[in-house]
Amino acid sequence: MPITILPPKFSHPPPPPQDISDSDSDLSSDDGGAHLDFASLGLPNRKPNPANNPLFTNLVTPGTLITPDPQWMRGHGTYIPPHTTHITSSLAGIITRTNKLISVSPLRARYTPEVGDLVVGRIVEVQAKRWRVDVGSVQLASLPLSAINLPGGILRKRTETDELQIRTFFAEGDLVVAEVQQLFQDGGAVLHTRSLKYGKLRNGLFAAVSGVGGGSGVVRSRRQVWTMEGQNGGGKMDVILGVNGYVWISKHVEQVAKELEQKHMGITNMEENVSAGVYSSQNDPIDSDTMREITRLRGVVTALVENGCRVDEDMVIRGYAEACEMAMLSETGPEDIYLGGQRGEELTRALRGN
Amino acid sequence: MPLDTSTYNLALLRVDGRRWNELRRIHAQIRTQAAADGSSYLEMGHTKVMCVVTGPSEPGPRRGVAGAGGGGGGGGAGGQSKEAEVVVNIVIAGFSSVDRKRRGRGDKRTLEMQSTLSNTLAATLHTHLFPHSQINISLHVLSQDGSLLAALINAATLACVDAGIPMTDYVTACTAGSTSTYAANDEGADPLLDLNHQEEQELPGLTVATLGDSDKVVALVCESRVQISRLEGMLAVGVDGCKQVREILDQVIKAQGQKMILEGTVDKGTGLNDMDLD
Repeated sequence: MPITILPPKFSHPPPPPQDISDSDSDLSSDDGGAHLDFASLGLPNRKPNPANNPLFTNLVTPGTLITPDPQWMRGHGTYIPPHTTHITSSLAGIITRTNKLISVSPLRARYTPEVGDLVVGRIVEVQAKRWRVDVGSVQLASLPLSAINLPGGILRKRTETDELQIRTFFAEGDLVVAEVQQLFQDGGAVLHTRSLKYGKLRNGLFAAVSGVGGGSGVVRSRRQVWTMEGQNGGGKMDVILGVNGYVWISKHVEQVAKELEQKHMGITNMEENVSAGVYSSQNDPIDSDTMREITRLRGVVTALVENGCRVDEDMVIRGYAEACEMAMLSETGPEDIYLGGQRGEELTRALRGN
Repeated sequence: MPLDTSTYNLALLRVDGRRWNELRRIHAQIRTQAAADGSSYLEMGHTKVMCVVTGPSEPGPRRGVAGAGGGGGGGGAGGQSKEAEVVVNIVIAGFSSVDRKRRGRGDKRTLEMQSTLSNTLAATLHTHLFPHSQINISLHVLSQDGSLLAALINAATLACVDAGIPMTDYVTACTAGSTSTYAANDEGADPLLDLNHQEEQELPGLTVATLGDSDKVVALVCESRVQISRLEGMLAVGVDGCKQVREILDQVIKAQGQKMILEGTVDKGTGLNDMDLD
């Protein structure tokens, strides 16, 4: 008897429950594959429909219509298609409303500079009267020669000699901590280091994590720079959390204070007495205990970012204390500075639990 | 004979058991590379591609003539222009297809795909927001089984969304074909969705990319001879497939966003109805 193959009957079963949290996007089409109905099988539907979760109502993806109402103003992360009044999202992110202004803050993006931000950057180019600094933004920031503290006493005018020896202040590859002074129309930033807090970075370790702009990483907070005591025999450490996500952890050096004591100078003319030592590229001797603690602190910062936590003063200090405890419990004692993978997860879980 | 027409007419099933309007399994992930600005991994059946986006950032030193000619073309005159330049670089691994073939940098097919992608994305991304900068999109093909250009476009879209680059809407792509060859004057030819490698070899096909939910076609590539009467059907099926792909990609992005909200990485935001106006 010959085999006959019957054409399939096209049926249109109801679409399967949209289980987004399952993250497997295997539902290639609605009329194909097996349709598992959890209710009819008597199994509990594991998770509630995430589309109904009030937490997620402000989550938008590119092309999502936010509102057709012309009373709202469009901000960053949105656009209005021509010939309409529809405010539409251009990013995957979260809607934020400030009075009548609607903007979408992205889940992740590059750092966008704002005036007053404390940033850590790396000099990539030396030009005639300015440096070009990588701050992890869309464009390189510029640091004009006129915006740094020139060595040699009194607040003096910048001369041609300074222009000629521009490389003696900062050269390519140097790390600086600076503040955003001014923004250009196209998003470029101008930095300055006219304070004792800012300047060239030495004696430490650099870590690049994601910055302000979305997602985990460094957040703008009250204190971005602080000094903390190292455990396990380490000395004091300075931590600089650049808003752009560049982090600098270094040995604490009491140089400036010492100099002031020697010269018996008031705090008023402190900034005028910057010595050339500020622009030195020579590291001070660092003992191995401090080095180890600096590395541990960097491990904490990277672990926080890897596991989607915010990086601020409180989190880093608590994370460091937790990391020290974890190290004490391990076999190798304080020498154990590994905080990747599972240990990083353990660390952040402990921090979140508190 | 890859697609036995007699069998197809009886069962209406293709070589891999799909019906005419079914996509292959699509699996996508974003944020696969922690160090990159944006990254994605996409599988359409056995076609597997990886994408990494760097930028928008300051354009580096100008590359040699060959490199610039191959990747550029999208955003115009590079560093000094008022719009970001979209530079696409495609690497096809030697082990990606059945016959091991080494493709150099100057391979014509790769160059064509690069410029198609670069033009498509430059039109959709809001490049005017990033003057004097460059968006580098680098794509690696790990495995090929048809619909390569479509997979590349989808992966690039996902990576750009992950990188937080503003865009008008998702650009999603898929392929469409026809059940009979150009020569066979078969009146009852069906359009097919999402061709695999075998079908792509034997049957006429086209790649179509659309903008989001709309029917706006942003890229259309047809490299085979096809009868004009069949084109409309193929296009309609292709556009419909693109919408299905968009849904899948959208779910991937949303799942990531929901994960970040639940972990407390991002705020839940303030919507239009969250509080009264002052």
